[in-house]
Amino acid sequence: MSNDDATVALLAAGVLDELDREVFESLARMVEDTDPVPAGLVDRIGMALTIEALHADVAELRLDGELALAVRTDETSIEAGTITFTTDVLTVMISVHAEAGRVRVDGWAAPAEAIDVELHQGAEVVSTISDDDGRFSFVDIERGPARLVLRRLSEPTVPVVTPQIEL
Amino acid sequence: MMSDDLVEPVDTALRDQGDGLADQAARAVLAYRAGDRGQLAALVQVMTPLLWHTVRAQGADPEQAEDIVQNVWLTLVRDIEQIRDPRATLQWMLVTAKRAAWRSVRRSRDEHVRQAADENATEWLTAPVEDLPDSVAVRSERDQALWNHVRALPDRCRKLLGLVALVERPDYTVVSQALGMPVGSIGPTRGRCLGKLRAALDADPTWSLS
Repeated sequence: MSNDDATVALLAAGVLDELDREVFESLARMVEDTDPVPAGLVDRIGMALTIEALHADVAELRLDGELALAVRTDETSIEAGTITFTTDVLTVMISVHAEAGRVRVDGWAAPAEAIDVELHQGAEVVSTISDDDGRFSFVDIERGPARLVLRRLSEPTVPVVTPQIEL
Repeated sequence: MMSDDLVEPVDTALRDQGDGLADQAARAVLAYRAGDRGQLAALVQVMTPLLWHTVRAQGADPEQAEDIVQNVWLTLVRDIEQIRDPRATLQWMLVTAKRAAWRSVRRSRDEHVRQAADENATEWLTAPVEDLPDSVAVRSERDQALWNHVRALPDRCRKLLGLVALVERPDYTVVSQALGMPVGSIGPTRGRCLGKLRAALDADPTWSLS
């Protein structure tokens, strides 16, 4: 056994000490800096898990009307102006207005009935209940990717989930 | 029937587990089954970086890695009622992520037989200091020395140390086992990989004198 081998063997048999802890701290910092976890990945996973937990297949939602909306080529989101989503059971129209750096979302769902509406942004969820005509609104919402989850009170176990939109 | 000498090590393992990720994952799985999704959401925050680097260490490109990491979480939730031993959740997720990364890397190599892609695939923690992005925190000579010595380690050791560095001591065994390294590769003693690194650092005046 050479001296080098003996040194390594001795060190290998030693118990982890403060210096090892320091090595790991520096190493962790370098690993995270050279190859950071992509921004938004944790939020996207959170959203995917939420939708999975709802047992809602992101229903085959058709996007109607191409007015004032642009599909962003770099992302999977759709930039919202006025958008209509349609499923077999529900049609949802939303319009988005800027208000002092934030946004207001007004929506309308048909057929008209009271609907529980959730707005998901990353891990944040705000919810409201539509009026009897199916109208609802969210005010003072942050810009960014979002998704609506709608539950008809007549059929609460079959939620409708919109694709991700860019508010 | 379980004999006493089989029961004992399990108890010891439990005690040693303390409050690492494996433990947190076990609690999150149980809570999720009981209808509380909050703990799993918190676990996603703290565990996604480890999964990300595990997948990247296998050579998956960033796009593949995002899909793989997200799928590991979705698979966990879909199969959550079937998990027999919630304490094995972390291990299962790391192994699942690693295998998915292998498959993905092999597929993309088959698709474009490009030398460059193959080289990139083993680049994890191997870039020369001067090639690192400016943002990288190789701030001191000491960090620079550390980086160079880590780069010089065998591939298996580099991966082991780079990933173990991201977790606390209770999870060292799980992480090394998931990488296919034997129990005792690291903790309670340093093991050969960290031993080699320490020997190199001790012999380097840039490191040992600062």
